[in-house]
Amino acid sequence: MRTYSLVVNEVQHQVQASPEMPLLWALRDLLHLTGTKYGCGMGVCGACTVHEDGIAVRSCQIPLSATPGKRYTTIEGLSVDGSHPCQRAWLEEDVSQCGYCQAGMIMEAATLIRRKPNLSDAEIDAGLADHVCRCGTFQRVRRAIRRAAREASKA
Amino acid sequence: MSSTRRAFLRTSTLAATGLIIGVDLSEGATDKRASAFEPNAYISITPDNIVRLWMTRSEMGQGVRTTLSMMLAEELEANWSKIRLEQATPGGRFQGIRLRTSGSGSTVSTYNVLRKAGATAREMLIAAAAEKWHVQPSRCRAAEGTVVHIATGRKFNYGQLATAASHQKVPANPTLKNPKDFRVIGTRMRRVDGRAIVTGRAVYGLDARVPGMLFAVMERCPCLGGKVASFDATQALAMPGVRHVVPITSGIATGVAVVADHTWAAMKGREALRVEWDLGPNQSFDSDDFLQREIDAARSHDGYYVRNDGDALKAFSGAAKTMDAVYVTPFQAHAPLETMNCIADVRKDSCEIWVPTQCPEEARTEAAKMLGLPPEFVKLHVTLIGGAFGRRLFADYVHEAVELSRAVAKPVQLMWTRTDDMRFGYFHPCAVEHIAGGLDTGGKPVAWLQTSVDSNLSTSPLPTEEERKNPRFYFEQEMPWGSFDNPYNFPNLKADFIPVNSPVPTGPWRAVFYPSRVFARESFLDEMAYAAGRDPLEFRLGLLQPGDILKVGNQRIDRSRLIRVLQVAAEKSGWKSPFHPSSDRRWGRGIACNVYDEDCYIAQVAEVSVGRESRDVRVHRMVCAVDCGLVVSPLGLEGQAESGIIWGLSSTLSGKIDFKKGCAVQSSFADFEVVRMDEAPAIETHIVASDFPPGGFGETAVPPVAPAVVNAIFAATGRRIRRLPVNPSS
Repeated sequence: MRTYSLVVNEVQHQVQASPEMPLLWALRDLLHLTGTKYGCGMGVCGACTVHEDGIAVRSCQIPLSATPGKRYTTIEGLSVDGSHPCQRAWLEEDVSQCGYCQAGMIMEAATLIRRKPNLSDAEIDAGLADHVCRCGTFQRVRRAIRRAAREASKA
Repeated sequence: MSSTRRAFLRTSTLAATGLIIGVDLSEGATDKRASAFEPNAYISITPDNIVRLWMTRSEMGQGVRTTLSMMLAEELEANWSKIRLEQATPGGRFQGIRLRTSGSGSTVSTYNVLRKAGATAREMLIAAAAEKWHVQPSRCRAAEGTVVHIATGRKFNYGQLATAASHQKVPANPTLKNPKDFRVIGTRMRRVDGRAIVTGRAVYGLDARVPGMLFAVMERCPCLGGKVASFDATQALAMPGVRHVVPITSGIATGVAVVADHTWAAMKGREALRVEWDLGPNQSFDSDDFLQREIDAARSHDGYYVRNDGDALKAFSGAAKTMDAVYVTPFQAHAPLETMNCIADVRKDSCEIWVPTQCPEEARTEAAKMLGLPPEFVKLHVTLIGGAFGRRLFADYVHEAVELSRAVAKPVQLMWTRTDDMRFGYFHPCAVEHIAGGLDTGGKPVAWLQTSVDSNLSTSPLPTEEERKNPRFYFEQEMPWGSFDNPYNFPNLKADFIPVNSPVPTGPWRAVFYPSRVFARESFLDEMAYAAGRDPLEFRLGLLQPGDILKVGNQRIDRSRLIRVLQVAAEKSGWKSPFHPSSDRRWGRGIACNVYDEDCYIAQVAEVSVGRESRDVRVHRMVCAVDCGLVVSPLGLEGQAESGIIWGLSSTLSGKIDFKKGCAVQSSFADFEVVRMDEAPAIETHIVASDFPPGGFGETAVPPVAPAVVNAIFAATGRRIRRLPVNPSS
């Protein structure tokens, strides 16, 4: 067991845990930030996607030993009031069905549109291709990302 | 999730009037509830002007909390932006009210009930206002959460009327609105839970937290029907954070649970467990062998009577041209993204449960039975559900959590890992269909013989000896769907069903029995059309003439509605229009249709291209036409069409579960492949306006997908696929 100083959503937390504990479980079970979801624990489904220094990563694949010096953002901290362009676009396009995978997709999309606002359709598809959504919301995810990218480039 | 514990015993009384006299039933409720206006179980209005609507179905992505709210708010004339939703729990005020969510039945079964519940409240609120103003109720109207005196414009909000409304007579037959006056139903309302989801605040089963709770995972015997021979917990208990190791026998597979301070510690403890298994009687079970047994059975044509119109055998033997084919579909997993999980808190004389479930009443009853408690001592909370698709109609994971919490005397969350969830469950049965058909010299279809074989569902076990004596047993059960209710007008049609036992637990999957039968039926129709030299669309339309009503069992199938959706799908897809093909790909369109439970009519056209290699199949576009009566939530319906089509594509293109040596082979989304965004086609949904009562749509879009796609592949390449998936990964 070691003590880690985790910076999540601009708040510094002290957690005591083993070095190999994935960030996912520290977020969910130690910090009670349950917006980040467990889907597979193998980096295959994308449900646990968070930002590490602003870049989308899979929190189930990041051991606590790799977290020092990094700043993490979860869906709860993407905006203070749900006003991130992706969150707004997701509501406008009524994307969510069961909603369980959506936080992961939104975090991925947020990185995607920040890196390149004028994404092609193929780039959007490729950018989200590693996310599983069993409800099959892809058509609306595409629309939402296009909308969010437009909004973000206006702002 | 609130950390305070609620009392189990409620003292709510159902007065002779039908009024539930306000008693605290919800989380975060206050004393204000004591003076709440609660004309029925579905609606609570408190003097602080909060309108609570109680959701009597489980939200699992189908949008039911939005649809139910729309039906209630419509007649209640509630202010949509101010309503609050509460999730119903079994028992108490919901005693006798169905909470089970299944069979695409939520809209169908609640449409009139909830409208009446809303209208009852509205009339009582109007009566209360009229009394205060000393005017006739007819001089008042309800709008946007207020009652207005039309002549003077005076207003009361519903909160101001709550106490007085409680004293009004409950109308026996409140006046329902004329559908032409609807201002909520039929509009493009967005999901009520949307904001909670995109901000990470939505609480699914795995997100529920209870003070003092522990976290658990469980190692199960990998082999179907095996059990624990012995286990050594020493190393597991030595892992940091591990508290208990407990053998569990009440679930779908027996095993050993590890309970710890957090999920990760439980997982590490599980890795350190030493378990010896008694692999049991099914350790040589192989799904390929089982499939071959099913194929042999299908060719025997010796099944239970399903339907027998005319004389199909005679017509077949006299036909100018005959043909037959066998269609095969594999076992499928539900694989919702939120794995099975449950929190149970078993105490000395009571139990509280938090669980994502489609069957809260059964789960509670079964938990009570396990504990030897009356059901009213078990309180069960239904959380939001991260996908269900039929899997959560089983309470096996509730049993496990209850057994575990009882053993450790603490609240415990039992979580299935992805691999657990993929390997253990109630799978969609693998099925085999044999169809034989005959055409006359003019290419007119004269005979249809369909034999369906599958391993039945664990929910509907093989018939008893007594039932076996009744040759019409399956006919009376209106089974199997898709064959029993074959909508086409064959003068000679025979259908039968052969259930075959397998050790694999099976259960309802999205669209239940339809997918394999509709895959076979709509594929074979295509084969017959080509054999007759006819266009597959025209061939179907011909077989649905004269657009009459087909009565079979208690089903009433309106062929004119099926004709209409076929025509719309064909027209919108440009059925006969030429492609603008790229040089190296072959393009084709395929069509298929189905009637879901007599009230939902759907047709789909798939547009595919196939590369030089036959495995290189891309589905570019799916056009879907639907007539499911009055549409309560068009945005929701379009979403379910998109969802059902992606679901159907996953199982058509690559999804399957194999069993080798009694164990499920696939273990994650790496080897159980599902359609992702880069493979997702453009989907167009066209709603055919209709005045019929609403039909259910959660599953309807699934069955036509597979035949539409394989028919399109045939159109593109001349290659007929009769065994799914199209591209198995292994």
